[in-house]
Amino acid sequence: MRRPLYLIQEAFVNIRINRTSVMIGIITTAFTISCFGLFALLYGNLKNLAGTLQQDIEVLVYVQPEASDKIVEGIRQRLEGEKAVNVLSFVSKAEALKEFHQQFPDESTLLQGMEENPLPASFVVQISPQFQESDSIEAFAERIKQFPGVEQVRYSQDWIDTLALLVSYFEFGAIVIGLILAVATITIIANTVRLSFYLRKEEIEILRLIGATGSFIATPYVIEGALLGACGGALALVLLKGVFEFFLLEINASGWFSGLESVLIFFPFQTSLFLVLSGMLLGCGSSIISVFGLMRVRNEAT
Amino acid sequence: MIQLFHVSKFFERCTALHDVTVRIEKGECVLLTGPSGAGKTTLLKLIFGAEIPDEGQILVQNRNIARLREADIPYLRRTMGFVLQNFKLLPKKTVFDNVALPLIIQGVSRADSKRKVGEALKAVGMNHKHTSQTGVMSAGEQQRVCIARAIVNNPIILLADEPTGNLDTVLTSEIVELFKTIHARGTTVLLATHNQSVVEEMNGRVLHLQAGRMVSDKGPAA
Ligand SMILES: Nc1ncnc2c1ncn2[C@@H]1O[C@H](COP(=O)(O)OP(=O)(O)OP(=O)(O)O)[C@@H](O)[C@H]1O
Ligand SMILES: [Mg+2]
Repeated sequence: MRRPLYLIQEAFVNIRINRTSVMIGIITTAFTISCFGLFALLYGNLKNLAGTLQQDIEVLVYVQPEASDKIVEGIRQRLEGEKAVNVLSFVSKAEALKEFHQQFPDESTLLQGMEENPLPASFVVQISPQFQESDSIEAFAERIKQFPGVEQVRYSQDWIDTLALLVSYFEFGAIVIGLILAVATITIIANTVRLSFYLRKEEIEILRLIGATGSFIATPYVIEGALLGACGGALALVLLKGVFEFFLLEINASGWFSGLESVLIFFPFQTSLFLVLSGMLLGCGSSIISVFGLMRVRNEAT
Repeated sequence: MIQLFHVSKFFERCTALHDVTVRIEKGECVLLTGPSGAGKTTLLKLIFGAEIPDEGQILVQNRNIARLREADIPYLRRTMGFVLQNFKLLPKKTVFDNVALPLIIQGVSRADSKRKVGEALKAVGMNHKHTSQTGVMSAGEQQRVCIARAIVNNPIILLADEPTGNLDTVLTSEIVELFKTIHARGTTVLLATHNQSVVEEMNGRVLHLQAGRMVSDKGPAA
């Protein structure tokens, strides 16, 4: 019980002795983690946005003009049997015409010359959430096309694909940037901890003299690194939250993207925790790297 | 207890020890003498596992030091006490904390270490100063604290390298008395010095080194 307490105390002594570089270390770590966090925030929101947009995706199933009521009913029954269909509604030829007139009052004359209503009846399908992947929508559409009496199936394929591609680019980018910044963070913390170690070289010699093991000597420095990383992560979180709130205020004030602020999300609790913990782990790792080679007991005592 | 067989240690430019063979029994009091550069410190470092011999074998409590893994050296050191000329105390910590450090390292409980530190400080006559910072203490006091730290574990072997090098003659006598008391309690003492009066006062077995060779080995005067 006394040993762990002693080791933690020593970690705080390290921080006190080396406070300037520890402060600098925390701030630089916070900035690097913020960079990654900013990217992750962007990614998370993009993905969220993509999700919301995909929810609105409708597949329009146009019925052949000459199709009889029986065939239309057949299509309805088959559609209702599809798992991918969440909400199904039918727009008859007459309703389609009415909608057309409502939406485009100026062009009403366009259809007047025609004897028969040229607009097809259609089914409007809202896709169930678990089938909102671009691939499954495509497969669904292909299947519907084969139904007797179906003229055409339409949905906004390009938009979904572009968004999915963008999200996957972001995913890749996040991994690359994350790795680069992780290396940067490790370097920063490793140097800070190494400096603490050198500042207490005499004391470490004494510890070796009286039979301290390498891990006993190293532990306070590993704790120091972990604390530094965790503080950096926490500070990064505060910075990001600040930037995020500021951004929201700006959006509200400008009024340009009204409605966007309700869609934007900050990190959920787990992700925030993950950010702080990963800072801590990076800190641990880098201090282990930095003091590992300095723990030799031979040829250095006395 | 300590056995050296044809031990040699070379540094880039010189031979610090050359073909030294010696056997020290449990409870002996051995003085290591010789001019500066004779290899006294090197010999102690070899026994302490801080250096590895280039030739020969060293057995300490039947363990071969040269073959000891790096990770086992701390445990070897815990069976020994080491006192140096330039104290090596933590100046910002109290006397008590300095002496308790070897016990913290070994995970001794608070109550036990309090008792052991108390005993060690009493043995060196520093009991009344246990809350003072060591950095502000006199040389003689600091050396006493060092000795207390070295004996707090009840080591089997006490190694000392010029323990009186920084002290005047009065303090030297006091420290020598302390070593004699510790030896009288059954601890094996190995003390390196080139102070002739220390050698006389200790009245132990004298090993004389010269340019890395052991030139004489005399038992204590009767
Ligand atoms: N780490 C080292 N690297 C190179 N040479 C060394 C090293 N340690 C000791 N020596 C050399 O080995 C020889 C013996 O040194 P050692 O310190 O054992 O002498 P000593 O008897 O303790 O001397 P003193 O009485 O001055 O303390 C010296 O010539 C010294 O220069
Ligand atoms: Mg010496």
